[in-house]
Amino acid sequence: MQETRNIYTSIKARLTDVIEESPSIKTFVLVPEDEFSFKTGQFIELSVDGIGEAPFTPSSSPLITEKLEVTVMKTGYVTDYMHMLKPGVYMGIRGPYGRGYPVEKFFGKEVLILGGGCGLAPIRSLLFTLESIKDKLVKVILCYGSKSPADCIYKPLFDKLNSTEKFEAYRTVDRADEEWDGSVGVATTLLNKIQIDIKNSVAVVCGPPVMMKFGTIRLLEMGYSDDQIYLSMEKNMSCGLGKCGHCMMGEFFVCRDGPVFTYKEIKHNPEIWK
Amino acid sequence: MAPSLHIRRLNIILKFGNKQIGVHKVIKSCLNFKLKEMELTINDLKNVRFFDNYKDEQLKIFIGISSVKEFKVKDILFEQYDELNEIYVLLTGCLSLGISLSKEKRIILGTLEEGQLFSWSAVFSPYISTAWVMATCPTKVMAIDAKKLILEFEKNCEFGFKTMSKIAQTVSHRLSDTRFQLMNQLTL
Repeated sequence: MQETRNIYTSIKARLTDVIEESPSIKTFVLVPEDEFSFKTGQFIELSVDGIGEAPFTPSSSPLITEKLEVTVMKTGYVTDYMHMLKPGVYMGIRGPYGRGYPVEKFFGKEVLILGGGCGLAPIRSLLFTLESIKDKLVKVILCYGSKSPADCIYKPLFDKLNSTEKFEAYRTVDRADEEWDGSVGVATTLLNKIQIDIKNSVAVVCGPPVMMKFGTIRLLEMGYSDDQIYLSMEKNMSCGLGKCGHCMMGEFFVCRDGPVFTYKEIKHNPEIWK
Repeated sequence: MAPSLHIRRLNIILKFGNKQIGVHKVIKSCLNFKLKEMELTINDLKNVRFFDNYKDEQLKIFIGISSVKEFKVKDILFEQYDELNEIYVLLTGCLSLGISLSKEKRIILGTLEEGQLFSWSAVFSPYISTAWVMATCPTKVMAIDAKKLILEFEKNCEFGFKTMSKIAQTVSHRLSDTRFQLMNQLTL
């Protein structure tokens, strides 16, 4: 008889590399000791013994199961501690939890992805997935905004995407520095640049709440319908199982029913942009 | 050589007896000959985003009251608080838009994308620019005579309504982006 894993216990994972993406964001490369897989957009609870755990959406390809990458922004007690970790230590992985991106619904369509800040982490995982099924897609456009050129994560990803058939990637920064010669402005300004067949496309938005709000408003103005927009909600997910109620958003538990929702599903919720 | 508003701002006056004429006007009229060589066609405008959904006869109106202007890197198209008499559409190239705290301190608020309209203040009283615009790479813009455009609005209400709606949308997006930036700062 196959042994069922306790959903509350963590899998041990060895930290093999730490990549500095920006002054406040690092990517942790982990090798799980047990079998572990996830669907793009699902999240995990990553823990450090004696410190605590926090929810993250893996940024690596779900097609690669031998290792897992998690991009972490320094925002509090647990993440501050994680940023001090060196390769060789063990961390805990619990999950995966929730509902990810319904990529099969993207078949035959153009996919517009609007991202901001650390929101590029789940998007990166989605991009890897979309790359693997690009024959079934019309095209994929990424519009990404960061506060400054230094805050932009996964810099080599943009050149790679722009040299990949059916993919286009654009970057902008809120504040330019001396060396920056690209677009300046918030992420939504990049939407003035792209050519997209809105009727035959879906839009994915992931980033800080302010960006999600303004991004969604602009997409609606462009002509996207409520069910064409997918939002990856960041809430205070804790148990991951829809039990503790930390991530409740109206009738939904973000950890169980999300974190990916269509705008249609959650638009009437007063807590949507909080 | 490309015309630009910093030429206009030289403000050197030539005197011919009782008559006075600004050097910038002399230079501009010399340049007009060259600008005529770069006339736009209806097909050119069909590829420019701002002109989406215009009828051919409406595009013809734009062509009749416009010229193409070229700018090189660091050319200032206009300064903040300049009086504007042309509304522009970026055809090719790159432009930065910003505000100044002092003559030396320019703050970039954003960049403009090809096909975008700017200098909308030229069609709204008091016709004073709210920002400066500078070329950051060799750039070509369509300069539409604002006074003539307003006269066309009066003659052709459908054309006027459509164009003013598009201009309002540009202003609305700029306002929304500014609020987005402001919220970013406030939630830091």
